[in-house]
Amino acid sequence: MFEMNTAEPMQVDVPPEDNENNETECYVVENPTLDLETYAASYTGFAKLYRLMFVADHCPSLRLEALKMAISYVMTTYNVSLYQTLHKKLAEAVASAGLPDVAVQMGSQDIPVLDSIWIESKTKKAAIKLEKLDTDLKNYKTNSIKESIRRGHDDLGDHYLDCGDLTSALKCYSRARDYCTSGKHIIMMCLNVVKVSVYLQNWAHVLNYVSKAEGTPDFNEVPGKDSNQSILTRLKCAAGLAELATKKYKSAAKHFLAASIDHCDYPELLSSNNVAIYGGLCALATFDRSELQKQVIVSSSFKLFLELEPQLRDIIFKFYESKYASCLRLLDEIRDNLMLDMYLAPHLNSLYMQIRNRALIQYFSPYLSADMRLMAAAFNRTVNALEDELMLLILDGQIQARIDSHNKILYAKDVDQRSTTFERSLAMGKEYQRRTSMLILRAAMLKNQIHVKNVGRDTGPQSGEAPGSSTSLTPRTFDTVPL
Amino acid sequence: MITNFDKLCGDLEKQELEAPTGIASPSTYAQLLAIYLYQNDLCNAKFLWKRIPQNITSSNPEISAIWAVGQKLWKKDLPGTYQALAAFTWTEPVANIIRALEDNIRERTFNLIGRSYSSISIDTVVSMTGLSKDAVLHICRDRKWMLNEDGVTVSPTPPTQPAPLHTSSEDQLFKLTEFVSFLEN
Amino acid sequence: MASPLEQFVDNVRTMSASGSFRELCEVIGKSDESLETLDIQQHSLGVLAVLVAKFSLQQGGDVDKSTMFKQIHDFITNCNGEQVRFSPELYAELCHLLTNYLVEIKQPIRGIEILKKAIRKIQLFDSQLTSIHADLCQLCLLSKCMKPALEFLDTDVTGIGSELGGNNDSKHFLLYYYYGGMIYTAMKNYDRALYFFEVVVTVPAMVVSHIMLEAYKKYILVSFILHGKILPMPKYASQVRLIMSWLPPNMLLSNIAIPSSEDKNMGLVNQVLSSMYKKNIQRLTKTFLTLSLSDVAARVQLTGPSQAESYILNMIEEGEIYAMINQKDGMVVFLDSPEKYASPETLCVLEQQMAACTKLHQYIQEMDEQIQVNPQYIKKSVGSHDEDIPATSQNSKTTYSM
Repeated sequence: MFEMNTAEPMQVDVPPEDNENNETECYVVENPTLDLETYAASYTGFAKLYRLMFVADHCPSLRLEALKMAISYVMTTYNVSLYQTLHKKLAEAVASAGLPDVAVQMGSQDIPVLDSIWIESKTKKAAIKLEKLDTDLKNYKTNSIKESIRRGHDDLGDHYLDCGDLTSALKCYSRARDYCTSGKHIIMMCLNVVKVSVYLQNWAHVLNYVSKAEGTPDFNEVPGKDSNQSILTRLKCAAGLAELATKKYKSAAKHFLAASIDHCDYPELLSSNNVAIYGGLCALATFDRSELQKQVIVSSSFKLFLELEPQLRDIIFKFYESKYASCLRLLDEIRDNLMLDMYLAPHLNSLYMQIRNRALIQYFSPYLSADMRLMAAAFNRTVNALEDELMLLILDGQIQARIDSHNKILYAKDVDQRSTTFERSLAMGKEYQRRTSMLILRAAMLKNQIHVKNVGRDTGPQSGEAPGSSTSLTPRTFDTVPL
Repeated sequence: MITNFDKLCGDLEKQELEAPTGIASPSTYAQLLAIYLYQNDLCNAKFLWKRIPQNITSSNPEISAIWAVGQKLWKKDLPGTYQALAAFTWTEPVANIIRALEDNIRERTFNLIGRSYSSISIDTVVSMTGLSKDAVLHICRDRKWMLNEDGVTVSPTPPTQPAPLHTSSEDQLFKLTEFVSFLEN
Repeated sequence: MASPLEQFVDNVRTMSASGSFRELCEVIGKSDESLETLDIQQHSLGVLAVLVAKFSLQQGGDVDKSTMFKQIHDFITNCNGEQVRFSPELYAELCHLLTNYLVEIKQPIRGIEILKKAIRKIQLFDSQLTSIHADLCQLCLLSKCMKPALEFLDTDVTGIGSELGGNNDSKHFLLYYYYGGMIYTAMKNYDRALYFFEVVVTVPAMVVSHIMLEAYKKYILVSFILHGKILPMPKYASQVRLIMSWLPPNMLLSNIAIPSSEDKNMGLVNQVLSSMYKKNIQRLTKTFLTLSLSDVAARVQLTGPSQAESYILNMIEEGEIYAMINQKDGMVVFLDSPEKYASPETLCVLEQQMAACTKLHQYIQEMDEQIQVNPQYIKKSVGSHDEDIPATSQNSKTTYSM
């Protein structure tokens, strides 16, 4: 118990920070149109807590509400230390809100106070439960009933999770592995590990166990087609999250697109709306036109997801219909809400950038030459800003074009295959010669045992005398140049 | 009149290396420096200038004068180059090389202008070639560069490439055979 | 004929080792007599030994050095190459002595011709590296007369003289490539310079030598001039990490930002800066068809249109970009390379390149064949036939490094 208490507060704090460290540490969303109640209702467990905390951290106008909801939820668990952390945050939030009358006005009646009796009783209960589970597990072990041992580990893991001790939970869930007797058990074990790993943001672990689950021999024969589908969807969602978090947007999109709406019930991690948004945005950012059409727009299963997020559906359709201006405008509209999503927020800028670039590329693709003034209008940009954007795309090789800055026209550049082939093969030949002569030289070097070694001089690094001669021999004029 | 500067260059380099005290005659240095400039080998010219002993350069103003030209060339200061060329009365055998050098620079400059400009003011051409305005106009006519209506700019045309050398088809066939046989083995 | 000589050399060696220099002087005084009795052509090895012994023992000015240059010159011109090849160490030692002497009296240029001759004499083939190469490069650098070294530097090394490796430290090997890189840098042949510095940096090393450290600095700078970035090192260059720990690239780059007069690489740093402008202009040519000169100046942060014009003009002259300047409108039109790869010249270039590649390939094949018949290799590959060993040149390394 003691051990648990010390480890825990850190555990709670670490993951969200990890996530934001990159770039999004301190942004503030001013005017979200998020209905917190409905939002929070789609999640359970840590998903709910983390998401509410994320909202509280980044949206002052929703901060109090989010913290209150989180507190009332955390009171249904054994997670005492998170309760304390949340209360501290709440106190800070109330203080920083500054205006006492606001606090008084709405605080006096419904800001919860720190309930120390609850803390004490919960702590005690948690300890008792832990002890009981521990004893149970020991008994099972002495009787060496595999199935019971496995369940004992799982129960212990569940309890640790409930208390907020993620690392211990992960350990328990993983230990259950040795006692799995069927494919189904293995899959359950994998799902547990995946869940905790997501909370811990250990993405490599997530992917690892997802593929382990998928590789389980009777993965496809698990009785009951429905449950199979639902497991598959869970695995896909978890893998999608992991890929998204590691910036592999395209495979993230593919994973999310493989989810099935009827079996998408995974409140411990994400909601169906999340799947729609994550999948939709990643697809928009990374798919080409035909992929977008085949896998998103006409996909019967993903269509249903998109129905949940009509705005995103409109965006995707506008994009596909090449109505970029309105597409980009709609994207900007939903931006604020998306910035409150803890998994998406760190990637939103790069996703938006990629979508924009894709739009630019597609806009220009049918043209031989395009008036940059019209193009700028279509993308809500000034001509000069557009010029810079295009320049980067051209340098990146994403658009084959040249800018006529004088007349503000973008010309498609016809690549002369023949010339480039010549150019490349000549360069390749040069490179081959360089590498090969280096190789021959190296072989000769090894043959003659040429290597720098310590010659046992007390001057330390070898060539004790060599540097002398080399530096004395390096008058500055040699290196250089003009006069 | 010596025209084969490359051969002369080799001879002079040898003279310098074989000089018994490591110091060659001022005339050797002067000619070699001028030839390096003529060959547009500015790096070697610069190092030659640096290795000529101080007492020789100070007692032989011609060498300093040659390097003054080299300095301008290094800075790609064409008007300065012509000034430096005109500033000294060269003596044989250096004068011969210097004449060739001047022609060479001018020829290169005209080719460069032809390649790089679609329109250029005559004044710029005058300063880049160190010629009089009339001479420039004359050469422009020779090169069929059009004088624009405004009367101050010309539209140069790129110089024509020298006719490509032809190798015998038999020779080419031979090489091709060799190549294919290499690939197949 | 060798025995009295051996005795002589022996005498010299033991006496100098025991520090009895007075007796030694006497012996050496007689050495000139022994030299006279020997014929350079017929008794090359003996003369060589005497000369080396004579000149390596001069402490202070006991024996006058004035004859040294002439004697060595005569010896190298007239000696019998086949004989001296049996003792490349001594031969090289003689050249080192001459080099040091010329450096000391500040007449490095005098040694260039002799060393060239000396190298040609001892080499078994043109592309063999000897430790005299480094001396030649040193003299060329010091005398600021680089051209003579180029004929050696331009030949890619395929074999290495025995005196360079083995138990001798690889100082001369490192120095040759370091000096060579510096010569190429001075000649603005940055491509070759980069190659040479890369060789220095990738020499197998247990410890970092100062030469490698200096070479690495220059490698980075030249790499910036050529490519605008630091090229990744080949995989086998494990010791590069060792160097990095001494000298993180960032540190070097910050040196560029804050030029310090202490750094001997200032000139190179300036070159890097100007090459950055050029690289940026080249980027512009990839994206723009037309651009006003003032825009060019603004985009690459030059001071004004006229500076931009002169940069562009220089780059056109060097063939680095293809463009047309329109002075009337102050515009520049960027063009594609006019090279259409359809001319006989292209064919000629292609043929040359293919021939070069073919030659290299054949050489590699030869090396491979040699390895195939190497008893050590056969023993090893038979011994461990459970491992699938393809007969590639890679195996040569494992064999040799045994």
